[in-house]
Amino acid sequence: MFLAFALITLLGALGMLLQKNIIVAGLFMVAAFFGIAGLFVLLANPVAAALQIIVYSGAIMVLVLFVIMMLNSHEEEAAEFSRPIQRWLSLALVLALAVGAVKLVMASKGVQELAVRGAATSPAVTLQGVGAVLFADHLLGFEVAGLMLLAAMVGAVALTKRNL
Amino acid sequence: MTGMDAILHGGLQGYLVVALLLFAIGLAAVLLRRTLLMQFMGVELMLNAANVALLAFARFRGGDLQATVFYLFIIAVAACEAAVGLALIIGLYRHRDTTDSDRTASLKQ
Repeated sequence: MFLAFALITLLGALGMLLQKNIIVAGLFMVAAFFGIAGLFVLLANPVAAALQIIVYSGAIMVLVLFVIMMLNSHEEEAAEFSRPIQRWLSLALVLALAVGAVKLVMASKGVQELAVRGAATSPAVTLQGVGAVLFADHLLGFEVAGLMLLAAMVGAVALTKRNL
Repeated sequence: MTGMDAILHGGLQGYLVVALLLFAIGLAAVLLRRTLLMQFMGVELMLNAANVALLAFARFRGGDLQATVFYLFIIAVAACEAAVGLALIIGLYRHRDTTDSDRTASLKQ
């Protein structure tokens, strides 16, 4: 099961990276987000899985696809300057970062110890538990998040409206 | 479970490797693609990679609930970022008629 969801996630992300058409790339992103939601279910966290599908696949990607269709620029424009050195350099940087970090994780004694110690099944995360922690320990953060969503909403309308 | 076995069957290392590769793909999208919307999707991918690592560590530390609360805050910020970022892209497209980041390298027309 883990391998299936990991492959859905990584192949979706890779398809997004390699796709020329931006709408198809957006749909690959939706597949990747569904794969991540599956990984969250396997991590005994159905709350995060539901939020992932509702907020990312449901709200954010729909907003992105809506903007892509509205802007009517579905294909990547021809490059103004070809920058071969920068492109190969960034590709090498990304590959070095990925290989180095994976090697670091596989060699880490602390991660290995944590993986063995935490392998016992823990109870699944419930919405009730999350709500209790959220309103007991992080009430101020919750209010600030609400205020920030309001500010972002007002800001988005102010930025896109032609004449206020 | 350690080594390859952990990667193939969902040990902590497996989730961390998935998160790292997801981050690398997102970074590659930001660095290699020129369309601003593709770069935006790359940023979203990197954000999700961090979430996968956070919730994996929480599960292997005995189902810590604080991580899920943090995840809630992270997606609230991601939603704000998506709304404002897309509004900026729309505004740019209206002024310049392009979503290519190379063509919008300077603020002046």
